Amino acid sequence: MIKMIPYILLQIVIVPMMVSLSIFLIRSKLSKRAGWIVVITLLYTTTLLCIAGIRVYQGEVICEEYPVGPKIRFNLLADGLSLPVALIINLCCVVLAFYSIPYIKHRIEAIYGKVEKRTWLSYNTRFFSLYLFFSTGFMGISFATNLVVMYFFMEILTVIPLYFIMAQFGYSDFMERSKVALMCLFWGVAGATFFLIGILYAYIQIRSFEISILSNLAGNSSTIWFILLILLGLLIKLAIFPFHVWMPWVHAEHPTCIAGLLAVYANIAAYVMVRVLILPLFDDFKVFNVPIMILALVTMVYGSLLTLAQNDVKRFCACSTISQISYSILGLGAQTLWSIEGGLLFFLSHILGKTIFFSTAGILVYTTGIRDMDEMGGLASKMPITALLWIIGAMSLSAFPPLLSFPSEWLMFTGIFIYGTNGSWIVLLIPMIGVSAIILTITYTFWSAKRIFFGPLKPNLAKEEIKDPPLTMSVPLLLLGFLSAFLGLYPKPLMDLLHSVIKIIL
Amino acid sequence: MKAEIGWLCILFPFIGAFLSLPLSKVHPKLRDYGSVFFSFLAASLSLLLIPYLFRPTKLPMESTFIWLTSPIELNMGILIDPLSIVMANIVAVISFVIMVYSIGYMKGDSSLTRWWMWMNLFIGSMLLLVLSNNLLFIFIGWKMVGLCSYGLIGFYYRDEKKYWIGGPSPTKYCTPSHAGLKALIVTSSGDVLLLGGIFIIYSYSGTLNLLNLYETSSFWIPEMAHSPGMILLVSMLLIAGSFGKSAQFPFHEWLPEAMAGPGPVSALIHAATMVKSGVYLIARFIPIFFYGYWIAGCYEASFFFIAIAWAGGFTAFLAATQGMVAIELKKALAYSTMSQIGYMMLALGISGFSPPTLIEGLTSGIFHLISHALFKASLFLCAGSIIHTVQSIYMTHMGSLRKSMPFTWIFMFIATLSLMGVPPFPGFWSKDAILVSSLKAYHYPLFFLALITVAITSFYSIRFIGMVFYGKKSKHIENLAPKGRPFLEAHSTMIGACGFLSLLIIVFGLLGFTTEHWLKEGFKVSMETIKLPVQPDTNSLIFHLFIPLFSIISIMIGMVPAYFLYILRRVDPKEILEKYSFIKALYKFFWNRWYIDRFYYMFFVDGMNKFFTSIPKYIENPLDQFFHEIIPSLPERLYCSGGIILSGKSKKEWERGTSKEGQKPATGIHLGFTLLTALFFIALFLIIMFIWG
Repeated sequence: MIKMIPYILLQIVIVPMMVSLSIFLIRSKLSKRAGWIVVITLLYTTTLLCIAGIRVYQGEVICEEYPVGPKIRFNLLADGLSLPVALIINLCCVVLAFYSIPYIKHRIEAIYGKVEKRTWLSYNTRFFSLYLFFSTGFMGISFATNLVVMYFFMEILTVIPLYFIMAQFGYSDFMERSKVALMCLFWGVAGATFFLIGILYAYIQIRSFEISILSNLAGNSSTIWFILLILLGLLIKLAIFPFHVWMPWVHAEHPTCIAGLLAVYANIAAYVMVRVLILPLFDDFKVFNVPIMILALVTMVYGSLLTLAQNDVKRFCACSTISQISYSILGLGAQTLWSIEGGLLFFLSHILGKTIFFSTAGILVYTTGIRDMDEMGGLASKMPITALLWIIGAMSLSAFPPLLSFPSEWLMFTGIFIYGTNGSWIVLLIPMIGVSAIILTITYTFWSAKRIFFGPLKPNLAKEEIKDPPLTMSVPLLLLGFLSAFLGLYPKPLMDLLHSVIKIIL
Repeated sequence: MKAEIGWLCILFPFIGAFLSLPLSKVHPKLRDYGSVFFSFLAASLSLLLIPYLFRPTKLPMESTFIWLTSPIELNMGILIDPLSIVMANIVAVISFVIMVYSIGYMKGDSSLTRWWMWMNLFIGSMLLLVLSNNLLFIFIGWKMVGLCSYGLIGFYYRDEKKYWIGGPSPTKYCTPSHAGLKALIVTSSGDVLLLGGIFIIYSYSGTLNLLNLYETSSFWIPEMAHSPGMILLVSMLLIAGSFGKSAQFPFHEWLPEAMAGPGPVSALIHAATMVKSGVYLIARFIPIFFYGYWIAGCYEASFFFIAIAWAGGFTAFLAATQGMVAIELKKALAYSTMSQIGYMMLALGISGFSPPTLIEGLTSGIFHLISHALFKASLFLCAGSIIHTVQSIYMTHMGSLRKSMPFTWIFMFIATLSLMGVPPFPGFWSKDAILVSSLKAYHYPLFFLALITVAITSFYSIRFIGMVFYGKKSKHIENLAPKGRPFLEAHSTMIGACGFLSLLIIVFGLLGFTTEHWLKEGFKVSMETIKLPVQPDTNSLIFHLFIPLFSIISIMIGMVPAYFLYILRRVDPKEILEKYSFIKALYKFFWNRWYIDRFYYMFFVDGMNKFFTSIPKYIENPLDQFFHEIIPSLPERLYCSGGIILSGKSKKEWERGTSKEGQKPATGIHLGFTLLTALFFIALFLIIMFIWG
């Protein structure tokens, strides 16, 4: 039965895009239903992903081939690596689609004021038709087997949903919004350009864009340039120090309903790094182990300190993303079986945690209209569910059991320490500093909880309208928290899937 | 049903935690009694394990199931051995008693569902910690008890003034939410170091299972010793983790503020159970380092024992001195807890000083852990009843309470005698065992440090009893009484819980010598099972005759002045302070907690605050300016420069000619970003066309 669904991967990638275009074309007839259509579409693709997941877990590798040109084949591959990544990302998309329904209504009112119904519908459908491109972009990157196809989907993400949603639905005034949108586009394009130059460099060497052929580059002295170019592109996407400067701006000014997806946008580069660099060029990549780990360490610590310095709740979340993403990179940099699998698992746990954390920050802004944490305080008594969500997010970022981040951090650091103990004392310092940096995460996450939710209620917050948000915003986030807890208690299926692919490095 | 009992022990409190919310929807009483019932189940099941203590040859028992198969097989399991049986019973039984006490103490609280949830979650996590057979799940329990501690210290998160701790002015106050955060951060600092230690051990041993670690130590410890300094590093990391949780120097400063939590929390988490987890963990690591030093001959392993013994001894002394001057009842007890845990650490450290003291040190440390859990839980519960009734945390607001709270007075007095080490209470036997083992190791400085601390303990114990129950009524009490608040004994469940603990103290006191013998036998068999050499006990009789004498003399040295000052009230302590400037200086030093807390705030809080607030100014903003202003303005600058060169005008003239009034400065940046992005696309297009061609 589950094998009978045709073009399953193509559907997962294309259906959101087609629905998006449909929403745009028939927007006048949709009334307020655009959000729910998006939800249903994403639930459909999630179901397809689950079905594909069962097949992959049973040992099958799903590969679909669609030739689109003489040199580029639009092939899609679902294996133990791409499938869990795609599934968890799509779940985040579903949750945030639910969340966006009330949120975007509020956002349109906040930006454009009381507008007539037709105009409002126009904005609403515009947002949701753009939103679906996130799913298409992420699914495309996850399943791509071809470097140009991967690049294409990376660019789709940068240009269509990110730029346009930011420019139209972001915070601040129009000038500032469009500046930040351009900034986001610039950094996205800059990263993708290095990536593309790397691809072209590889093409000159191996006359193919297929990722599976990249292993032909192994052992070649010029491969180092290919790795360097791709790495540079990915480090920009990952917001590694000093290329992190776009992250606080972009995250802080984007509408919060997509902020969780921005974390995915940045972090998915970790997946690309494994797929394009580590797996095919395992030995050649070792040259970069120590530099990558040092960069990751610097970013971890710097990002945490920067987070501690923030008062703006949205910038706070943005800076924490800078720090958190580099944990996965530290793991990937160590290049041991444990650390790569742990690093990937950490990426997945981070996007779950960050979706909860960022969206809760959005709830705070949505409800109180305040972004400055110094003006908040004592909100737990008025918004207990929001406080619970924030604590779940804090626990996830700080890797507290039973959430998924705990086993992922455990596995990742096991691998990093194995790497460290096999080297000199200086090398052992890397995991030691890395593991100690967790304390900074615990400090900023739980300190923010104290600042926002505990203590006496600030007089400016003693209003009747300040209360927990609608269930469509909070319940999906709680479910995401439960999912993280479930996977944290029972990470075996995820680990088995990842291991089925990563084990080839042994 | 053997080791499987352990699973159920862990499972029931977790079920209780998850059922609190649905049960509260049915009926609040069902939630209250239901929650207590689940802790009762855990206690009953743990009691079923006790018979195995008398048949140590049947131990250890394990029950495991697979948790992960890739990248390597990791099992989740239960280990039943003498140490885990003792710990599980302490945790489960005392937790149950405290849960019963909570029914009265928390009556009428609006957040009872949250209360029962946290409490049961804590009990389950603590049982997971002590019953797990491998370091991964021990650490999971470890982190979860830390989280529960955070949630329960900050239980009164609204920070109403009545729940503040500290003061009176000018001494600073601490709110519950601040205290919770402080506890979480300080203990987590230890946790991350412990994590590092565990990872290094795994890197060498390839296993996290405790029994496997012991069995394979002959392979991996010598290998670890090949890297100079590695065993020392691991020792320090493991000790840091344990000391963080057990509030030992230098990680001890969180515990006094943790008293901001409700009374039962202080009794359960910050006296009887969680703070003992560090002692438990050290006891688990003893066989490894003992093997390393005495059998494998790795000199560095000896530092593990030396550091524990000295840090423990020092903390015992340091905290006891602070206990002498505290005026908050629960804080005095908190200092006492730190001090008594210091004794346990000292004993565990001594276990590695010589082969004959292995069993002696281990037994005395764990024995003191048991007796301390009983008397300190009782003391805290009594303190909770008193604070609940008097509505003040300060002992100076109490006085003469023995008439209005006779049961609490009797129960607290029994527990205090045990704390002081008065025979025949369990505190006497366990402290005696520690002194004996320190003398057997021929470590006289530690022996005398412990003996001095006995005297100080005796002083502060009589002091708090005197200040609370004897002397005249304080003005606070006199002011409260006319308002129609007569001082009555606490709720029946609270008296019942304290009474039950007092009964246990007496029973354990009478069975003191026998308990020590059972424990010794149990640990002996455990060590023999893992092939560690156990040497016969020597000179026991002589030591057991002389040490009690020394101990009782020390008790008297501390007790007599305290008796005159705080019970008979012959002299006002304030007069002594005014009269002797040296004593006043010493008092100030102790009152300010040896200035350690102040230093930590100055260095870690204020220092870090200054550091991270300077980061945007000195690093982030310049970087941001470079990437987002200088680079995007390059096209504009190039355009300007080109314009100036081509037009042949001066810069000012050219700018005057081109700029528009009211133009926003951001426009240049907009243009820059757009142009740069466009340039990227054009360049890409050309490259692609070139390759395609």
